[in-house]
Amino acid sequence: MDPDNKIELHIPSVMGYEKIAMETAASMAKRMGFTEDRIEDLKTAVAEACLNAIEHGNKMDTSTKVGITLTAEESRLQVVVKDEGKGVGEIGSPRIESKIEGKDKARGWGIFLIKSLMDEVKFEPSPEGGNVVKMVIYLEK
Amino acid sequence: MANKDIEISVAKKNDVSIINIKGDVTATTGEAIEGAYQKVTTEGVKKILLFFDKDGYINSGGIAILIGVASESVKNKQQIRITGLSSHFQKIFHMVGLTKYTQIFPSEELALRGF
Repeated sequence: MDPDNKIELHIPSVMGYEKIAMETAASMAKRMGFTEDRIEDLKTAVAEACLNAIEHGNKMDTSTKVGITLTAEESRLQVVVKDEGKGVGEIGSPRIESKIEGKDKARGWGIFLIKSLMDEVKFEPSPEGGNVVKMVIYLEK
Repeated sequence: MANKDIEISVAKKNDVSIINIKGDVTATTGEAIEGAYQKVTTEGVKKILLFFDKDGYINSGGIAILIGVASESVKNKQQIRITGLSSHFQKIFHMVGLTKYTQIFPSEELALRGF
């Protein structure tokens, strides 16, 4: 694989740093020719994956990092987000009605948004420990 | 509490309170939004327009804050209208279902019309 097509970054487990990963992914997608709409989808999905990793995976432990790998391929961009934690199991689809009625917490939209906005999403444990989210977005949808 | 990532101001037009939200809408900035909502609610306001920054960043934590506000507005029998959102976040608000409890308008003028 052409190493020029791959970017890796590591962000601290601190809220707000997800924006750096988000903007890096957006720059790469722009270079690849993604439309503005799809870049916005990507930005939200990358930010949410990083937030999950920071908050639920690494429990905001500042001694840990979140790793993000962006790989540009001919017709798609792959984003891998890795944390060092024990992770969160798959969460069922949130229902706003339950949240409005106070039956469920208002939070819990991150995975829903990632799955809704990206073309392929896979959550899996990393062989080295931690959790990995693999997301793919295609140039032509 | 002051938060450098968000700037909130409240204006009144007739019986509508307009909450201007400039900056990030996240769990971290949520307290400022909730504070502005609580203030106008205490004043007995029943019509609220949330005016977002088109270039602002909204994440799932911010969406949760807005769901909390929408939930309170149902209990307090208030109407919430929204304007200033980018087309992306209009789509996100539809996806999560916030548009069942709020109405999105393309401009402040249209949002205030007939409110």
